[in-house]
Amino acid sequence: MKRKHFYSHLVETTHITLEIAELDVTSGERVHLLSLVEANIHTTVVSKVLDELDPLDKKKFLSNLSLEDHDKTLAHLKENVSDIEEKLKKEIDKVTKELLQDIKEAKN
Amino acid sequence: MQGKSIHYQKLLKKWSEKHKDLQRQIFEKHKDAFDWLENNSKQLVVGSIAGIFMLTNPIIPQIPATFSAGLSQQEPVDKRVFLIYDLKNVLPSDIRPLTSDEEAKVTEVLSRTFGVNAVGELSGKRLNSQYGYIGQEQHLARFPGDNMYAHFDNPEESFEFGKHGMAPGLGAFRYFANSRGEMTEEDNLREKYYIAVQTFLSPGFNENVREYMDFYKYRKMLVVNPQNGRAIVTDIADSGPAAWTGKQLGGSPEVMRYLERVDGSQKGPVLYFFVDDPENKVSLGPVGL
Repeated sequence: MKRKHFYSHLVETTHITLEIAELDVTSGERVHLLSLVEANIHTTVVSKVLDELDPLDKKKFLSNLSLEDHDKTLAHLKENVSDIEEKLKKEIDKVTKELLQDIKEAKN
Repeated sequence: MQGKSIHYQKLLKKWSEKHKDLQRQIFEKHKDAFDWLENNSKQLVVGSIAGIFMLTNPIIPQIPATFSAGLSQQEPVDKRVFLIYDLKNVLPSDIRPLTSDEEAKVTEVLSRTFGVNAVGELSGKRLNSQYGYIGQEQHLARFPGDNMYAHFDNPEESFEFGKHGMAPGLGAFRYFANSRGEMTEEDNLREKYYIAVQTFLSPGFNENVREYMDFYKYRKMLVVNPQNGRAIVTDIADSGPAAWTGKQLGGSPEVMRYLERVDGSQKGPVLYFFVDDPENKVSLGPVGL
């Protein structure tokens, strides 16, 4: 099973998926909203990673990211940033909570 | 197909702006690194660039007619959304055996979605539950002399699944084949995609142990994670877990990985139903949507 991103194992978006499923939207709109969720999480994660790296490792990371070598990307980060998975999990949880709140507000 | 609903319009505006802000911040703070990437992109063997695409492109302001290669996996995701939603409306909030009404609704949803005949009762036999917690099992010896060095088809599988080790004892139905030479692909798949269920707790088991064990041996079951919509056709190759564990069934490392289920405090529920397949036409393994 191919991993989609180097941090996919840290992402749990079932709640968001279920909330979006309950919205009064068309199938195409639903798919588009899910892609926006993915894009926001992705950019948040990459931003956090870049904040943690020195200039040389930033280049190495972006290079690995563009090659989509997820195992290599994660291994590089683990070597260079302490507790990287915990840090990313915290950021992902934060952004998913914000997105959930946005859905609740949109319903009102 | 243009978006018209209020919910969609509100979220589209909010999430597009949020993403634009994130993009602006990331490019401002890490301009040097992105400049370097741009200048060297020709030297990099770039794949489908989904990882960079979402960073460097503005979010499409309306529903795209077709999605780019990097976002092409979204149609199956959408089908899963409907499945998850359908199941959420039927399943009880606590993990317990389903009522006959719940079972009828769930099997209707699963049979319709996955194109297999999923049933709670087959040949007058049913398990103690159809909705329970799944635990992690180890690999089973397929033939005398099978071991962790010879168990996998390739190094990737060995790396991925070898860490779970091999159960010290045999499965409830002993070896899958008498020798390595007699192993068939079906035997191989039966071990790879096996589950353990509480055969011993099924109604009527104690009165007809032999008959029930014959029925359960390699019986196909559809197992579904209702929280992510992943489904896999498995077979019963072991009995367990014990009632005191608080779990109702166990899955091979390959089954657990596909369902994205783990053991311990993070354990989660699955649905499991017999596959009525008298002509043996349903293949073992993951079921696509």
